[in-house]
Amino acid sequence: MNAIGAASSGGATAASDSSTTTKKNSKKPKYSRFTQQELPACKPILTPGLVITTFIVIGIIFIPVGLVSLFASEKVVEIVDRYDDGCVPRNYSNNKLAYIRSKLTDKSCTRTLNIVKPMKSPIYIYYQLDNFYQNHRRYVKSRSDKQLRSKKGESETKLCDPEGVSANGPIVPCGLIAWSLFNDTYKFKVKNKVLEVNKKNIAWKSDKSKKFGSDVYPKNFQSGGLIGGGQLNSSIPLSEQENLIVWMRTAALPTFRKLYGKIEEDLQANQQITVVIQNNYNTYSFGGKKKLVLSTTTWIGGKNDFLGIAYVTVGGLCLFFAISFILLYVVKPRPLGDPSYLSWNRNPAGHLN
Amino acid sequence: MYFLMVSILSATPYSPVHPVTNVVPLSLVLLVSLIKEAFEDWKRFQNDMAINNTLVDVLQDQRWECIPWKRLQVGDIVRVKQDGFFPADLLLLASTNPDGVCYIETANLDGETNLKIRKALERTWDYLTPDKACEFKGEVQCEQPNNSLYTFTGNLVMENQTLPLSPNQLLLRGCSLKNTQYIVGAVIFTGHETKVMMNSMNVPSKRSTLERKLDKLILTLFGTLFTMCLIGAIGSGVFINKKYYFLGLEKGVEDQFNPNNRFLVTLLTMLTLLTLYSTIIPISLYVSIEMIKFIQSTQFINKDLNMYHVETNTPALARTSNLNEELGQVEYIFSDKTGTLTRNLMEFFKCSIGGEIYGTGVTEIERGIAERNGIKLQEEKVTNAAHEKGFNFDDERLMRGAWRNEANSDACKEFFRCLAICHTVLPEGDESPEKIKYQAASPDEAALVIAAKNFGFFFYRRTPTMVYVRESHVERMGKIQDVPYEILNVLEFNSTRKRQSVVCRYPDGRLVLYCKGADTVIYERLAVGNDNLKKVTREHLEQFGASGLRTLCLAYRDLAPDMYESWNEKFIQAKSSLRDREKKLDEVAELIENNLVLIGATAIEDKLQEGVPNCIETLSRAGIKIWVLTGDKIETAINIAYACNLMNNEMKQFIISSETDAIREVEERGDQVEIARFIKEEVKKELKKCIDEVQQYFHNVSGPKLALVIDGKCLMYALDPSLRVMLLTLSLNCASVVCCRVSPLQKAQVTSLVKKGARKITLSIGDGANDVSMIQAAHIGVGISGLEGMQAVMASDFAIAQFRFLKDLLLVHGRWSYLRICKVVTYFFYKNLTFTLTQFWFTFNTGFSGQRFYDDWFQSLYNVIFTSFPVIILGLFDKDVSASLSKRYPELYKEGIRNVFFKWRVVAIWAFFAVYQSLVFYHFVTTSSSAAQSSSGKTFGLWDVSTMAFTCVVVTVNLRLLMMCNSITRWHYIGVGGSIVAWFLFIFLYSGLMTKHDRQENIYWVIYILMSTAYFYVTLLLVPVAALLGDFIYQGVQRWFFPYDYQIVQEIHSHEPDDSRTELLEIGNQLTPEEARSYAISQLPRELSKHTGFAFDSPGYESFFASQLGIKAPQKAWDVARRACARSKPKVSKKEKR
Repeated sequence: MNAIGAASSGGATAASDSSTTTKKNSKKPKYSRFTQQELPACKPILTPGLVITTFIVIGIIFIPVGLVSLFASEKVVEIVDRYDDGCVPRNYSNNKLAYIRSKLTDKSCTRTLNIVKPMKSPIYIYYQLDNFYQNHRRYVKSRSDKQLRSKKGESETKLCDPEGVSANGPIVPCGLIAWSLFNDTYKFKVKNKVLEVNKKNIAWKSDKSKKFGSDVYPKNFQSGGLIGGGQLNSSIPLSEQENLIVWMRTAALPTFRKLYGKIEEDLQANQQITVVIQNNYNTYSFGGKKKLVLSTTTWIGGKNDFLGIAYVTVGGLCLFFAISFILLYVVKPRPLGDPSYLSWNRNPAGHLN
Repeated sequence: MYFLMVSILSATPYSPVHPVTNVVPLSLVLLVSLIKEAFEDWKRFQNDMAINNTLVDVLQDQRWECIPWKRLQVGDIVRVKQDGFFPADLLLLASTNPDGVCYIETANLDGETNLKIRKALERTWDYLTPDKACEFKGEVQCEQPNNSLYTFTGNLVMENQTLPLSPNQLLLRGCSLKNTQYIVGAVIFTGHETKVMMNSMNVPSKRSTLERKLDKLILTLFGTLFTMCLIGAIGSGVFINKKYYFLGLEKGVEDQFNPNNRFLVTLLTMLTLLTLYSTIIPISLYVSIEMIKFIQSTQFINKDLNMYHVETNTPALARTSNLNEELGQVEYIFSDKTGTLTRNLMEFFKCSIGGEIYGTGVTEIERGIAERNGIKLQEEKVTNAAHEKGFNFDDERLMRGAWRNEANSDACKEFFRCLAICHTVLPEGDESPEKIKYQAASPDEAALVIAAKNFGFFFYRRTPTMVYVRESHVERMGKIQDVPYEILNVLEFNSTRKRQSVVCRYPDGRLVLYCKGADTVIYERLAVGNDNLKKVTREHLEQFGASGLRTLCLAYRDLAPDMYESWNEKFIQAKSSLRDREKKLDEVAELIENNLVLIGATAIEDKLQEGVPNCIETLSRAGIKIWVLTGDKIETAINIAYACNLMNNEMKQFIISSETDAIREVEERGDQVEIARFIKEEVKKELKKCIDEVQQYFHNVSGPKLALVIDGKCLMYALDPSLRVMLLTLSLNCASVVCCRVSPLQKAQVTSLVKKGARKITLSIGDGANDVSMIQAAHIGVGISGLEGMQAVMASDFAIAQFRFLKDLLLVHGRWSYLRICKVVTYFFYKNLTFTLTQFWFTFNTGFSGQRFYDDWFQSLYNVIFTSFPVIILGLFDKDVSASLSKRYPELYKEGIRNVFFKWRVVAIWAFFAVYQSLVFYHFVTTSSSAAQSSSGKTFGLWDVSTMAFTCVVVTVNLRLLMMCNSITRWHYIGVGGSIVAWFLFIFLYSGLMTKHDRQENIYWVIYILMSTAYFYVTLLLVPVAALLGDFIYQGVQRWFFPYDYQIVQEIHSHEPDDSRTELLEIGNQLTPEEARSYAISQLPRELSKHTGFAFDSPGYESFFASQLGIKAPQKAWDVARRACARSKPKVSKKEKR
């Protein structure tokens, strides 16, 4: 019943009130570049010249970069050996699953690799799995970072199902990721001389120092009925178990490479390397391939032709388009800002639309 | 709602993402809208405060106390002084005027500036002084608050006496007190219960067509979303298999991954994916658009100096921010004539006295006609000093007393006297020719009186019985003589009589009846004889009419005293009769208003608004079709249409009028059913004929433009459902349409005919209450503010002061808004689609498990932080061509009408590039990351790859925005740069942090690892360039081969500096003589579009609503004038004594 808020929707009424009564009170809006929409601006116009120049510039930058990366990638020596099929004895070839699951079968397998080009130390050893969905949702979340980080978090296993707790208490490290730890091993010989494999410093430093605690020791690991993968030495803290750390940095794609170790010796061309593989890991049930990769690196990393090719392609395309645009410019020129191109000039019967 | 659902869903275990992903953006978006609402409320609050804190005198303890309006309560006794506004609906108790009368101006309610009388009950007249007033005890019983301005019923119970109350005792809030020292009143309704507030309808919520189309787009996105989810879900059902032992599917598997029930897996994965892909629906889109529009309307439209009208001190006002971009797509404008196209300013322009035409002016219409005929009129630019509002006349034969030398000087004298005496005008202010102001019921009347003043017959004072005229040059040049004329009777004007007469007695006792009125009624009553003069004058009248002037005939009659006396008795009798008084008065008037002697005719120009023809021409070049809907006569309307450039001689005109002989004949027979049937048949025939003709022209490309003129009566039948389609086909083929003699309802019907029938975007512009229905019916309603009442403005979406500002509003603001909103929408669409698609491609590589590619926080902040700011900048600052070029090339506007920038084709192109880009992002990044990425031989994990991809997405999407800008301001750099920097800052902090919470520390140190590799930089250069390459090629090709018009205009003017509007501003500050004059005019009392029917106009529509509600039109002018002059008499006499 009082007049509070009386004009809440009557702003306009009020406005007119004052315009008729107080003429001195000008309602002229203040000038500002913002309200008058006159902010200084650069107005790039995509003229053919600009387009062509841009293409050429991109081409000129990209092709050399691409060539450099290709060159770097070429320098990398990479040897890939698929061994999942070859390492199954012939009598098991129809029943690979039985072979890999059996505890009795001899899992060792010897492969010979040819060094085509000389390889400079350090030579990185990778294992490459295929069709292995480390990025599956159920898999990715099945870990407990808290547990891995410190002893205090030992019992934090709620994300780890179904590998969270065993009959004897929480599993450390818990979860499917750890449970399915890759456990093939490789031993290398050159002319009967054993090549040392350095398995230290294969994980990213941040993982080692922060994500995996030095006071966390494996506990109740692989103690259930089902064994998913490798065992862990329960006397070594997780931060030192670098193969686990590498494994637990889950891969983005179902085909992935992980670092196994380093050979810190140069290898000569035409050398024969003998690899003794302990073929423990089961990829047979889901038909995944296993490959052993030996590779050197350069500034760009391992063998990565893709980047170089992509650069060269993009650069090439740009040059191609630059040329096509120039040709188009010659064949079908459109003078800039020719009013005759305005739609209403082209179509005089404009009112018919 | 959808987002809330997703948020809830994301809290379930099926969700691949942390609930935070959806909750954070949702709450941020809600927060932003809250802030916006709060801001609007705050502004409103300030406005309210200003009003609420206005002071008013209230009776407290026998004294007048000043209290703010807001503390006013029902039952308070208040005092309102002269020129003050009523703070609430008041019951008038007492007034300083005798007999409890006060005068109010209701301009705020209905736009009428003529004074209205309110009269207190006799019983309460005494409560004028505080000590008296505090004795007032009574009880008011009245109806519930309602919105009817013209009704009020109630009772005042005082000392067991019940007195009936009527609207006559009610002072409405918003009105102001005039001509009264002060009044005392009791508060009846306050605040929202006052009639004006009950009347202030909320702006009908209109949504723009673009937004409705946007809804369709969103629905399409939903469709896409479900398709994607379905594909993913089916994939998951197929994929899940126990052979993937590493997934632990042997025992105790939750439903979602249980290979034994693949159907359930599919179903649940559907839910999972629904939350995962929810980013495809741009959550912040609506909020961003709202913010953009809000700023556009409050900062740009409201503050545009080009739309600020100096004379009335009125800036443009966007009353709603919903329709900004709709302004860029208007195809049909429906315009009122009076007050909108015309200035509503009557100027005495020409006259015909005794068969001689005086006045050298050339009307704009004549100029238009001359132009049509290809004649260049030689205009003598004589700037005469005697230029005044209401008087635009120059002829040295009449001015400065020169008329005495004319052959017909006696006729001239009668002519001028008639002008000076026969009216109901009230003089105000000083009694000097320069300072006097005339209060008139119609602007025509004021113009006539002003004309008389300029001819040397200065009407300066009115008493209830006398009119004082200062006559100069009558006897001798230079001699001034004050002559009092006794007004014996006033025979008032009304729409049936179409004339007005005054019986006056000269000081020498001569009795004369002066009469002025429409030519038809005057001619009927002329005395026999002098046919030559009649014929010539009639010719002149027609000539004036053709020039679009409003004509009146003047006549007089000398009365014999005895004859007058006998008549006067009848008159008094009629006046005091209780039943049918009006009718009887009319009858009595007939008795004396005959045997008149024709003096001459006046011609008053209905001035066009400034810049109207130019504006209309520009708008029609912009492809906008303008329809004039007016209550005027067909001839006037056509003339105005010509003057406004709406029609020209090259146009083929179709005229469908009810004024044909055939129709008239049937009408005379008077059978209503027959008339209706006949007119309908006629209209049908006409329509068919016109359409056939149109078809002919249609086949012939270079046919003339077409124009249709139709009058209200025919329109009534043409709007019949059976003929509606024909009418629509015909009118849509016409470049301009003029509907005359239409009622407000028909205006609305025509508007919705086009709106619904043709599905075109319509805009209605009008200034008066009669335009309200039309304004509300159209997509966009524009009210003319400043001069008229508030009703049209209150109903409108935008209010501008002048018709010509429509050009700025549509061509500049509308076009830009449209362009900007289109860009914003398509960009939002693109960025979310791109982002979500990368996620989608990833799903294929995760066994359709619904694993998220990006971290929760990336996903949630993508929309609200990393990509939101630049797009708002784009929505605010993007300009394709400058404002002046927009107006110079109005054709550019057609792009908006055709909706070039938001077609499905445009969306499809964006979608195509979104798919392309997302493929580039996903495949380039994942493929290149399979091998080791640094010389240390270590490999990347999922989160490294996804962070890499996300970085690329953020950089690319922001750069893409720059590519679509037409003008890049500092703000663009800040926005785009800021967003990219924000992302890096965020990721630096975020990946450096480790929290105590039980969550996965996936992102820990990721960015540092990435940045330690050369790969990061190489990819960061490659991916955006590769992704944008496609868009760049497209843009290049599009511009080269299929250029938009605006692009060509850009090219034409690419070398000119950004022509700022500073020149215009300077002009605005220094008044040119022309402007100074119009400013001076605006300072004079304002006249209104009250077409009291003089000669050319149908009755004004102000009373239309009132009569609809069964209420009689307001008081008669003479009544007001007589009372007012009675009051001012003592004041005058005081002055005389001095």
